[in-house]
Order: sequence, then structure tokens, then C-alpha cells
Amino acid sequence: MALERELAAYMQKLPELKEQEGKFALFHSDDFVDVYSSYEDAIKEGYNRFGLEPFLVKQIQATEQAQFISRIVAPETTAVSI
Amino acid sequence: MVDAFIGVSAGKFSALQQAQQQIPPLQRVRALLDTGASGSCVDPMVLTALGLQATGKVAVHTPTTGAAPAICNQYDVSILIPTQNAPAFQILTTAVTEHEFFKAQGFHALLGRDILSRCVFIYNGQVKLFTLGY
Repeated sequence: MALERELAAYMQKLPELKEQEGKFALFHSDDFVDVYSSYEDAIKEGYNRFGLEPFLVKQIQATEQAQFISRIVAPETTAVSI
Repeated sequence: MVDAFIGVSAGKFSALQQAQQQIPPLQRVRALLDTGASGSCVDPMVLTALGLQATGKVAVHTPTTGAAPAICNQYDVSILIPTQNAPAFQILTTAVTEHEFFKAQGFHALLGRDILSRCVFIYNGQVKLFTLGY
């Protein structure tokens, strides 16, 4: 499944990253790359380093905050818990 | 409701250029400005047309998800809202999630408060008019 390894790496690294809550962490495969102040910077660095290979940008949240969409829509879900 | 264009993000644009791959054309969508959505989302059909792969995963609550949020793929895109007499409103890199059923509801994207937070959005209900300033 897409980004499964990156997400596992994020969960493993999360205790160390909590001090930088709100910033954006970049992961490639099992590897943590760095933390960035903005989503745009993290995405740009992801493409600079890894080109068209998969990578994960995840906002650091000690407790995962869900987005909320009030319209009735069916989300495209993936079978992973975060 | 506004007409908008969804494209690859600035970073993906550069990566495709470097790989000497074709840049997918902007996808024209009908988009609903939705103050009830904390994040923006797009129909999977649009994301497929752009050849995007997920670069994130986020938890999302909707009225159909029940108590536990759904885990959704997140994609980096660019969004452009054209205007007649001024430069277009353009965001070169932003995150969207994918959600189905928009097409059946007459639109292909929701632009939520993550986008509206970059604008001045005024709704005058008495004359059924909204203004989006940027």
C-alpha cells in the first residue's frame, strides 16, 4: 500500500518530533529526512530529493487532529490507522 | 460555486520537467466554496487525470464516517481560480484529500477553510451574492 513504510516511520519517529508540533516532516521509505516550517517547503524538498519516487509529508501532531467535512461524502479510505 | 483549475503542484511540475515527462494539463472543475470543510478535497477522477500519487495521509471526519475518522490519501496540487479583470487567484502548492460523489452533486471539488483562509470571503444572503477577495 502506498506510503505504508513512510507512515510507520513517522509513527516511530513521532515521540522525538513532538517538540516541533505543527511543522511538516518529510519521510522517504523508512527514512526520516527533515522537518520544515511549511507544507510547501516540505513538498518542494521531497521532489528535489526524490523526484517522482513516493515520499510522505506529514504535519507533526502529538494527537492526530482529523479534518472535518460537513457535507455527506464518502471518503476514499485506506486501511491504516494513525 | 466557482470554476477553478486543478493542476500538479510547483514541485511536481519541476520534477516532471527534470524527468522529461509530459506535464498533465490543468483540469477544469466546478468547485464548491465550503465553510463547513476544514480542508479541501477533490474527486478521484480529477486526481487520476493528473497522474498524481499520494504524498500524505490524514484523518477525516464526514457525516458518513461515524465515530472514527477515515484515513484518506492526501495529494499536493495547484489551484487556480480565474477572474475576468484581474490576475487569477493561484496557489502553487496546497494539499487536498480525495472524496467521491461530488460529480453526482454537480461539482468536482470542495474548497474549504484552508483555501478561504487566504481570501476575504463575503456572503450577502439578501441579494444571493458572494465575493471572494484575494
